[in-house]
Amino acid sequence: MNALLFIALPYVALVLAIGVGIYRKLRKPYTYSSLSSEILENKRLFWGSVPFHYGITLILLAHLLAALFPSAAGWLLGGEIRRLVLELTGIALGIYTLFGLIVLIARRLVPKSLAQSVTSHMDGIVLFVLLVQVASGVGVAIFNRWGGVWYLHTAVPWFWSLAVLNPDTSTVDSLPALVKVHFVTGFVLILLFPFSRLVHLVMFPLQYLWRPYQVVIWNHRRATQGSVRREIAR
Amino acid sequence: MNAVGRRERGVLVAFLGLFLWTGGPVARGQDTAADFRQNCVSCHTIGGGRLTGPDLKGVSGRAERDWLVRFIVNPQAMIDRGDPYALKLLQESRGVVMPQFSGMSAARAQALLDLIAAESELEESQFKGLQITDRPFTTADVQGGRGLFMGVQPLRNGGPACIGCHTAKDLGGLSGGRLGPDLSRVFERLEGRKNLAAWLSAPATATMAPIFKNHPIASEEIVPIVAYLEAQASGGGEDMSAGPLIFLLIGLGGAGLMLVVFDLAWRMRFRTVRKQLVLTSTGRGEE
Repeated sequence: MNALLFIALPYVALVLAIGVGIYRKLRKPYTYSSLSSEILENKRLFWGSVPFHYGITLILLAHLLAALFPSAAGWLLGGEIRRLVLELTGIALGIYTLFGLIVLIARRLVPKSLAQSVTSHMDGIVLFVLLVQVASGVGVAIFNRWGGVWYLHTAVPWFWSLAVLNPDTSTVDSLPALVKVHFVTGFVLILLFPFSRLVHLVMFPLQYLWRPYQVVIWNHRRATQGSVRREIAR
Repeated sequence: MNAVGRRERGVLVAFLGLFLWTGGPVARGQDTAADFRQNCVSCHTIGGGRLTGPDLKGVSGRAERDWLVRFIVNPQAMIDRGDPYALKLLQESRGVVMPQFSGMSAARAQALLDLIAAESELEESQFKGLQITDRPFTTADVQGGRGLFMGVQPLRNGGPACIGCHTAKDLGGLSGGRLGPDLSRVFERLEGRKNLAAWLSAPATATMAPIFKNHPIASEEIVPIVAYLEAQASGGGEDMSAGPLIFLLIGLGGAGLMLVVFDLAWRMRFRTVRKQLVLTSTGRGEE
């Protein structure tokens, strides 16, 4: 079972993510979007989207950078104060992300709401897997700390063994079930990436930094009577 | 899934087939000496005396080869069956059951027994074990061990510091890790210096073995760690600090603080589109 979950699943997920991801980008470029529902939303979206996206971005970066530069991460976590600061920042970001995700899910669960009416089955699957992923990560941080330290000696060698095509799961085989759930849902999300709104992950809106202000014209009923209302948005 | 067509679904099904096909167990070659070092030396020596388990020098003369193979492959099954010699070994090891090792087979057990037989012939086996000092530990030993445990002094061969996974009663603050057990009384559990030093020379749990296989704790580091853990055991007790609860509360506080900060940061920004549209359309909002 470990070989299935920690060797086959990661390879299948990565090959599909890259292969189908490129295919979709080339064949259906206009589907590379998260299908924003911003215009349908009330303030609730702010309390979901902002915490979730800031939190998950920083946490994902911490996981990736530690995996890419384990020696530097080991040095950072070696000092007592540095470890405490990083771990406390991590748990705070985790809870912050979880809060945002729960709000994002709750807004889609409101019966007959606009958000629910534009929710696809795949959105539901992605949100469920994300919930398990983030909740298990917070759980691991609380019940199996200091995850930042042992991550470098368990998951990171496994990732590298996968990267060099010499898979070795021995460092993760006997970890607690909650940690394994976190690993598996992480790769399930990569698997879902090319088939869902998650593709927007690789669409970095860098041009937003230098593009001019954008004039959004709202075709209001009264606009047809000659009055054009404008919203200035970045 | 709405955005993907029949062809993509075909690709998905094909890869799921590959996923299931590649899911079988992965066999790995094992060097027998490395296998013994990794899995056996934390409880056994060859000619160095008893640890948690018996000294294996000349073990082939104490039981039939076939019995030894069956015992190595599945010790618990032999005990459950009520085998008299297995029960005697259990009694001698004070109730500590030899673990069943992942991937252990009759062939691997035979290779281990061949190795033990060859090593038993030698005047001094490479698996005689670490001969730890009997002298009383000094304060410097204990402090040195605390530094290694805490990770302030990194382990020479790059192994993780104990605190990443373990706690001990004198750590204070948010205390130690919770992936592995509290080590405050491990000195008692393993019954003294010799067993603890042997354990540290090749940690045999399924989690620690693959990590320390490539990053063994140096023998000069084992002495201060044993000194620290011996000092922890004196006086009894375990880590009863409120570290985990404080950790959670600080995390909740930090998340709450971030919500406040983002609320303030967004005060002057456009945070909801629909509300503005509704207000404008009904003539109640700003143009």
